[in-house]
Amino acid sequence: MAHVVLTDLVKTYGNFKAVNDVTLTVGDGEFVALVGPSGCGKTTTLNLIAGLIPITSGEIAIGDRVVNDVDPKDRDIAMVFQNYALYPQKSVYKNLAFPLQMRKLPRAEIDRKVKDAARVLDMTHLLERKPRELSGGQQQRVALGRALVRDPAVFLMDEPLSNLDAKLRVQMRSEIKRFHQDLKATIIYVTHDQLEAVTMADRMAVMKGGFLQQYDSPAQVFAHPVNMFVASFIGSPAMSLIPVEARTVDGRAVLTGAEGWTMALSPLNARKVRNSTTKKVVLGARHSTIKLHRNAMPDAIPAKAYTVEPTGDVTFVQALLSGATVNISVPPNVVVQPDEPIWLEFDQERLHLFDGETEIALMAD
Amino acid sequence: MTSMTNRVAPRKGKPLDVWRWVGRIFLVLMLLYTAVPMIWMLLTSIKSGFAAMQFPPQWWPNEPTLASYQRLLDPTNSVGQDFLRFFWNSLFVSTATTILAVIVAVPAAYAFSRFEFPGRNFLFFAVLLRNMFPAVIFLVPLFILMRLLGLVNTHGSLILTYLTFGLPLAIWLLKGFYDNIPYQLEQAARIDGATRFKAFMLIVMPLSAPGIIATAIYSFIGAWNEYIFAYTFLNRNDKLTLPVGIQRFFSENTTDFPGLMAASFMMSLPVVVLFLLLQRYFVRALTEGAVKH
Repeated sequence: MAHVVLTDLVKTYGNFKAVNDVTLTVGDGEFVALVGPSGCGKTTTLNLIAGLIPITSGEIAIGDRVVNDVDPKDRDIAMVFQNYALYPQKSVYKNLAFPLQMRKLPRAEIDRKVKDAARVLDMTHLLERKPRELSGGQQQRVALGRALVRDPAVFLMDEPLSNLDAKLRVQMRSEIKRFHQDLKATIIYVTHDQLEAVTMADRMAVMKGGFLQQYDSPAQVFAHPVNMFVASFIGSPAMSLIPVEARTVDGRAVLTGAEGWTMALSPLNARKVRNSTTKKVVLGARHSTIKLHRNAMPDAIPAKAYTVEPTGDVTFVQALLSGATVNISVPPNVVVQPDEPIWLEFDQERLHLFDGETEIALMAD
Repeated sequence: MTSMTNRVAPRKGKPLDVWRWVGRIFLVLMLLYTAVPMIWMLLTSIKSGFAAMQFPPQWWPNEPTLASYQRLLDPTNSVGQDFLRFFWNSLFVSTATTILAVIVAVPAAYAFSRFEFPGRNFLFFAVLLRNMFPAVIFLVPLFILMRLLGLVNTHGSLILTYLTFGLPLAIWLLKGFYDNIPYQLEQAARIDGATRFKAFMLIVMPLSAPGIIATAIYSFIGAWNEYIFAYTFLNRNDKLTLPVGIQRFFSENTTDFPGLMAASFMMSLPVVVLFLLLQRYFVRALTEGAVKH
């Protein structure tokens, strides 16, 4: 296993910058997820690491070796593709054996390694089948097997679960996580599904428009998103982002909404708001940090329920506030009717404040 | 509900069967249309010269004979000598055309399918542009060109010409095949330890075998049956190919119809055999990519 270091990585296509000065370090044995919406540059970044496309500038190091000009075959990597890319004309056995044959291993050793991998992935009985005779989940497993049979320095995975149905995806998710724990493998995993990134990765690199937005543990990214994009991208339902205005009333910092309501700020939040470049501020809150009241309360903001979505475990209530949709979760026994007046109380400890101009999270100092 | 079942019920009965029968009759007619001339060719080839000219015709030969075949395949007489020579010439020209077409079309189609390069679209369009003109308008210019190059009366002139006309379709057909082979397969092979060339040879080539076979058949049949260029570029007896050479059975006063038919039948044999052996690839080539797998 090895660490991977990307330094000022750039990939341009004509005038289009697909990857923009990305710098990040993946530790030895670490599971890192590259996550972002489609077109954010995550797959391009992975292909650059694999060497499938040439980099424009910057540096890629695997282990202590700079691999900028090294062929994919000599980078000591294995890759799992979104469509699995199993060799259709070869049996499962030959699919698994192919990377070993390319490395000119003795036949007996190839046989042993293929059978070991098949046993680990519980597919010994499938070895003679062709890929088209396998179910989606089995194909996925073969793709994983072909990667691990070689014992590479780094595993690259490009949306390996996105072609599976929902149930199988959850199952394979825990299998891959288990696989990482058992092998202590360095894994770089590309996904557009923030839930996969949050549940599997040691650290996640959130990307948008070719730029690395934030690189931290899922817990940190969830608790302290650096900007509005990361705040809204990570977590489901998305964090509510309400445009408000910062004011001082009777010497106290408050936020006022479009409907004319005001919300007093804690001293810490007041300090944050003072650092904004403009009076326009965006208030962010996750559904679980907003309290819903059926009656008027001193610190609660009046609103109206818009839609109500029971999911069984929790019920999600949407309300409109200052032109933004606000998500609130309530226990399933709380029955709210659409258009019913409600009052929202925000948790001062856990709300987020963003600069309305730069969209960057406001800090206290 | 009731109105729906009522409406559906009568349709299940007779009208469907009528259409099925119309279809069957149509198929039988089509079969006759294509098969009868071939059967007639075969029957005529085993008649005597006299029986072939009788009217009303003998539908079934009274005294079937293989004399025409014996004569054509016997190298000791002049007819047999000529026929075998023409057969060999045709085989040589067609095989050489086929091999060269595959050698050129495979990398060209692969490049069009996989690489972005300046002028790619223009070149691909230019390749197809050739097919928009009937080949005959190139007959005279090509003849002049061949004469300048000293290629008249050589098989090289035909091979070059057939390549020119066969390659666009071959490249176009094969490109479709490569387009349908996911690029990730090559990427996977390259990560698994193969060079780009090895990935092509070990993964892409076997997958495109049906396309290559279909391309080869197209080229072969095209060259094997071609008449007008062969007729124009060749006039020495020992160089003629079958389609031109078979004309020698026509003469001003008498035409040896059984001989002509026997020669025609033997000329069609290689194509039929080739087709029967490889038809599953051929059909696959024409339908490949129609449906997403």
